[in-house]
Amino acid sequence: MTAGTAALAFTLPAPSGPLVLYAGVVLLVLLAGAARAARTAALLSLTIWGFLWLLHVVLPGGRGPEAALAQGARIGAIATASVYLLHTFDPSAFLDAFAARGWPFAPAYFMVATMQAAPRLRARASGILEAQRARGLRVGRSPLARIRAIVPLTLPLLLGTIAEVDDRALALESRGLGGRRSSRRTPLAPSPFRSIDEALCWGTALAVAAALAVRLA
Amino acid sequence: MSAIELDTVSLRYVDAAADALDGISLDIESGAVTWLHGAPGAGCSTLLLALGGYAPRFTGGALRGRIRMLGADPQTEDGRAALRGRVAYVTAVPALQLSGIAATVWEEIAFAPANLGWPIETIRTSVDTVLDRLGIRGLSTRNPLELSGGELQRVVVAAVAVLEPSVWLLDEPATALDAGGRARLFDVMISEARRGAAVVVASEDADALGPVADRLIVLQHGRVVLDGRPAELLSGDAVWAAGAAGTAYADIARRAAGLVASPRLAPPYPLDLALAVTRWS
Repeated sequence: MTAGTAALAFTLPAPSGPLVLYAGVVLLVLLAGAARAARTAALLSLTIWGFLWLLHVVLPGGRGPEAALAQGARIGAIATASVYLLHTFDPSAFLDAFAARGWPFAPAYFMVATMQAAPRLRARASGILEAQRARGLRVGRSPLARIRAIVPLTLPLLLGTIAEVDDRALALESRGLGGRRSSRRTPLAPSPFRSIDEALCWGTALAVAAALAVRLA
Repeated sequence: MSAIELDTVSLRYVDAAADALDGISLDIESGAVTWLHGAPGAGCSTLLLALGGYAPRFTGGALRGRIRMLGADPQTEDGRAALRGRVAYVTAVPALQLSGIAATVWEEIAFAPANLGWPIETIRTSVDTVLDRLGIRGLSTRNPLELSGGELQRVVVAAVAVLEPSVWLLDEPATALDAGGRARLFDVMISEARRGAAVVVASEDADALGPVADRLIVLQHGRVVLDGRPAELLSGDAVWAAGAAGTAYADIARRAAGLVASPRLAPPYPLDLALAVTRWS
C-alpha cells in the first residue's frame, strides 16, 4: 500500500490527483484509528510545505501555487502512508503472512531484520560515543570538533558491524535459516491479513496500473 | 558411539604463518561433555568452527583432512543439509545470536523450529517445555532486546535446546552469566549429554568446567597435547606446561610448592576447597 501510494502520487494528474490521494490516505489512516500517524506525518512535512510555498509562490520564477500544492500533497501522502506503516508494522505478523503463503522467507527476513537493526545500531553508537568520551574524545564544542569526532565514532561502528556479520550468519544457520534445502517455514500465528486488506492492496495495484495507462496514453 | 570423527584435520587462515589446527585426529563420543581447553590462540574456537562447518567457509583459509559428524561431512553442502537442526552452536556473545526479528522471547525460541517447518502444535509444546527447563518462563513475553546479558544467554541456549540437537558446540558459553546462570547452563549441558547428545565446550574456565566435563582435551598451537579425564589432568603439571590454566586451588598449590618445601604440596594438586583443606590441614 505504501509503495502503491508513492507510485500513485507521481502518476496521478496534478494538482487534483495528489490532493485527492492525500485526502484519501489521511481518511483511511483516520478510519484505521491512527490519527497520531497522520499528525506526525503532517508535522514532518511542514518544513517541506513551507519551503515549497516559498519556492513556487513567494520567490520570483516559481511555478505558482498549483505546483506547490501538488508537490506538497505528494509529500504529505507518501509521508502519511510511511509513518502509518512504521506505527503499525508487526514484524512477526509480516513474516507469518509470508510463511502462510509459502513465499520465500529470506527476502522477508532480510527486510524485517534491516528494519529491526536500527535500534541496535543506535544503542551501539551511543555505547561507542561513551567509550570514546571516556578515552578523551571531545564532541559538541564546535562544528569543527563535531567533524573531527566523526571518524572515531563511525569507524568502530562500521568495523564492529561488519565483524558481527559472520557471527550472526552462522548463528542463524545453526537455527535452521538458509541453506539450499530450506524447509517451508511454519507460521507461528494465523495471518491477520483480512479480506479487506487484500482488497485494498489489489485496489491500489489496479489504481496504479490505471493511472500509468492514462498517463502513457 | 562416536558422534564426531576427525582425521588429521588441519586449517590455516588466510595469510597466517602457521596452521590454526595442525593434524588433529579425534573421536568425540555421544553422551559425554567434552571440554576443549587451551591458552588463547590454541585453536579451540577454530576447532568448533571447523566442526560446525563454519570454518573455513565463513572465516576464509583452507582445511585439510576429514571431518565426519553424525555420519555427515559438515564441510559439504549435502552434509550441512543432513545436519540441519541437529547441531547447536552457541558463542560467548548472546546478542549476536538473536534472530533479530522476534518481538518476544517465546518467538525467539520458536524461530528455529518454525524455520525447520515443525507443526505448530509441536512448536508450542517444545517451546513451553524448554522455557520451563531453562527457568525462563517469566521472560517469555519480554522483548529479547531488553534482557540482561545473562538472561539473553539463557534465551539463546533455550533457542537451540528446543531442537534437541544431537551435537552441541559451545564456545565460552558462560562468559556473560552470573554464578546461578552458569550453574543452570552446566546442568543443561550435563542433562543434554545424559540424553545422548555430544556436548563439546571450549572454555578457559577450569574451575567451572573441571567438575562438569567427562573428558578434557588440551590444545596447544593447534595440536592436541593432552587428552584424558579432567580431574587427572588438572591435578598434574602437564596442563600448565601446555600453556592452559588449571583450577584456582591447583594454582595456589603450585605457587605454594615453590615457596614451601613440603611433600604435601606436590602433585596431585587439590582441585576444590574441600580437598585443599584436607591436604593442607
